[in-house]
Amino acid sequence: MTIEALLLVAGALFGVGVYGALSQQSFVMLMMGLELMINGAILALVALWALAAAGNPQGQMLAVVFMTVMAVEMALGFALITNVYRVRRADITEKLRRLRG
Amino acid sequence: MSEERLVDLLFWVFAVGSVVTGYRVFRTDSMVRAAFYLLASFAAVGGILVLLGAEFLGMVLILMMAGEMLVMAIVMVMFMMNPAGLNPMWMVHQHRIAVAAGVVAFLAIASLGFLVDFPDQPNARPELATEQLGIELLGDSMLVFQTAGVALLSTMLGVVVLASRRGRYGIADEGSEEPPLQPDEMDMLGEEAAP
Amino acid sequence: MRTHASPELALLAVGFTMVVGTYLVAMLDRVIGGWVAARPHPWREIVAGPARSAALLILQQRMTTERTDTPSWMLAPALFAALAATALALVPLGPDLVVADPETGFVVFSAAIAFVMIAVFLHGWSPNSALPLHGAYRYAAQALSFQIPFLLAMLATALPAESLSIVEIVAAQESVWNVIRQPLGLPLYLVVGLAVSFWGPLNLPDGADLAGGTSAEDSGIARLLWKGARAAMLVAIAAMGAAGFLGGWWGPWLPGIVWMLMKTVALLVVLIAAGHLLARLRIERFVVVAWVLLIPLALVNIFVSGAFLL
Repeated sequence: MTIEALLLVAGALFGVGVYGALSQQSFVMLMMGLELMINGAILALVALWALAAAGNPQGQMLAVVFMTVMAVEMALGFALITNVYRVRRADITEKLRRLRG
Repeated sequence: MSEERLVDLLFWVFAVGSVVTGYRVFRTDSMVRAAFYLLASFAAVGGILVLLGAEFLGMVLILMMAGEMLVMAIVMVMFMMNPAGLNPMWMVHQHRIAVAAGVVAFLAIASLGFLVDFPDQPNARPELATEQLGIELLGDSMLVFQTAGVALLSTMLGVVVLASRRGRYGIADEGSEEPPLQPDEMDMLGEEAAP
Repeated sequence: MRTHASPELALLAVGFTMVVGTYLVAMLDRVIGGWVAARPHPWREIVAGPARSAALLILQQRMTTERTDTPSWMLAPALFAALAATALALVPLGPDLVVADPETGFVVFSAAIAFVMIAVFLHGWSPNSALPLHGAYRYAAQALSFQIPFLLAMLATALPAESLSIVEIVAAQESVWNVIRQPLGLPLYLVVGLAVSFWGPLNLPDGADLAGGTSAEDSGIARLLWKGARAAMLVAIAAMGAAGFLGGWWGPWLPGIVWMLMKTVALLVVLIAAGHLLARLRIERFVVVAWVLLIPLALVNIFVSGAFLL
């Protein structure tokens, strides 16, 4: 478990997340892409904490903040998806055209 | 097998597992399976965190993601047109740009590991990690903890308000629509209201 | 992590406990059911009954529905059994008699309980049938609401121990059991334990009003495995309650393991009797109780025990 291997895995997760977030038309799948990105970020953070920062407890604190942000983002994302569906009857990004330039 | 080899083997199993299931999220037809593939990816990352010595963080990640992915599966069934994957599905836009962006992101982060000279300071006392986190949480980082708590509380309130059935413009099931932007499009005498 | 047994011994111990525990739950179910109905079963039927119904289920023809999600359907009872095994592996029978004692044993137990939601949802979703899906959704509402009081009720037991390890939690009860210094804890734990293991009055996902709910389309060995996994999870919850609240292996005269078994059986009797004495609750009303009553009670429990420690 070297830093290179861990950052490789974190980068792969982040890359798959970016692919998902940019390519998916459905809102829920887009959110799954965002989740994968945060997954990769948490892994990278804890990898650096364990191998390069001598176990500084503030690294764990930052990871807790990441997880809080993930929970907040998911909750608000689902609420907004529900609301957008109710107001505009849109469940994929292509149907939201009113702000289109 | 010695302990270090076992840890290495487990790390690679979890690592490959998390990336493969992460990719399967976007290739499977069944939406419920997509949610649970994401759960598998998170559980594998949680396993890697435990192997790294952050035991509490890993187990809390797994615990959180169980509930979140259940809700994700239910939201999938609500909003996706093909929840059981009985028909093939390929709903993507700007596919090549997305693949290129994904590859660029992966190369950027992976090359960091090889190009940057990180200091080699491994965690000396991993068994104290939970205790140190607790002391840090309620000691030096107390403000961060409280801010996170208040943020979560306001998120809960905001989400309940946003997703509530009784909105500002009527009950959601009866088609609560916001008033249109132009006043002459507005139906002031109630002529278009549902009987 | 400090494990205390070799892997083969651990597997044997947990497997043995699961089989014996499941059989015990089935026997207690018959005994208490007969006593409540004032028609006690004969002893031969109590002892041989579970084996007979297990054999019947093994020999039963496997029936399936169409367009099922077969991997998930196979996965659900296996996952549930694995979670019950994980939860049982964390319970200490003595200060040196524990299969696995991770530093954050409490969080591992909670994660095992949280994954029960996934197992039940998969079990209800896979058969591609209406009533199992109803059961799965009911359990989603029930489990999400009761997860938090469950965590909070057990968290209070970690306060006197100043550790999340289950062995430390039991070791901290040497002077006085947690049920005495945290009186709200055990009743709260039993109520939410019934909810997360969907037994008795809170058997919404597998209830008779849904013709068996998530188990409606099960047959054969899968059905037996699901029922066995449910019973094993009940044993795990009773055992963890005995360890966390009733003082685990502490007690005069008798060796610790005997005390642990007696306390687990006592909690099992309470949980199974609740199944026979209370009618199934309406979940629409009861989740309101979970959010409005049980969470504040659990928080009060934590505040009071924390105040006593300061």
